[in-house]
Amino acid sequence: MAEIKYTFSELIVTGKPKPIKLIVLEGMLDESNADEFAPKIYEFIESMDNETSVILDLEKLTYMNSKSIGYIADYYNKVSAKNGKIVIAKPARNVKETLSVVGLDQMIPFTQTLEEAKLQA
Amino acid sequence: MEEIKGVIKGANPVKINSDKEIEIKIEIPTKAYFMSGIRDFTLSMIKNMTDFSENWAYRFQSVVDELCNNAIEHGSEKDSSIKITFIAVPDKHIKIIVEDFGKKDNPITAKEIQEKILNTQKKDIKDLGIRGRGLAFIVTKWTDKLEILDTENGGHIIQITKNLNDDKFKTVERSLEPNQIII
Repeated sequence: MAEIKYTFSELIVTGKPKPIKLIVLEGMLDESNADEFAPKIYEFIESMDNETSVILDLEKLTYMNSKSIGYIADYYNKVSAKNGKIVIAKPARNVKETLSVVGLDQMIPFTQTLEEAKLQA
Repeated sequence: MEEIKGVIKGANPVKINSDKEIEIKIEIPTKAYFMSGIRDFTLSMIKNMTDFSENWAYRFQSVVDELCNNAIEHGSEKDSSIKITFIAVPDKHIKIIVEDFGKKDNPITAKEIQEKILNTQKKDIKDLGIRGRGLAFIVTKWTDKLEILDTENGGHIIQITKNLNDDKFKTVERSLEPNQIII
């Protein structure tokens, strides 16, 4: 069965007016857990101040299905509505390919490192 | 006594190096729980039994997952099953066929599935909502042919083909060429 571990934290970045929210995902997101997991992120976004940016660290995410990607697109809409940004950091090659093939790279920037993500957030 | 170490490996994977095609059939209950096992099997089978690259093995993993999730959600009763068939033809292609047995409430036809795919592909990427990207993008972009058929029992057969000698499979870039959808 697919398992997803998540960590929510904050990054204080020099030159940024507000802390950046960091969401680290580890494991797999598929049909068996996507709907259960999504409300955690929605609550997290709901609790954020306006103009807050979010970095999704996907280095340890080994699989993501289309529904999970649909949720990320929706997180993007919610964060954008609060004038914030979302950046995806360090996606594994197969996950990055899947995100790209559905066009998410046209909405959300991907970075190879966390440092690059902080600059873009 | 001197320490003795050893490793026993299981049978070697069956590499397709003859003229014979290999066909593997799996039937699973309509529960998302089983999909991680099917994904693992797909990855291992493509990597070990065909000449497709590892990159393509990961792509097929997603294709199979999306086909099965679609069959379970839109084409099946709660406690039913779906059939997955892998056919690898040496030096030619791999076919993956997913069959569901239909749904009494809100049944969907092959034509309606095709229309949904085409409508999703026409939409702006920002207006897609949560669902619909699986068949419309992951499956169609990463296969050469997609066939959708209605079955007599009210179910569907969705069959994809990926040609082995297609230059697209050798690259790591995503395929951007239009794909063929047949009903």
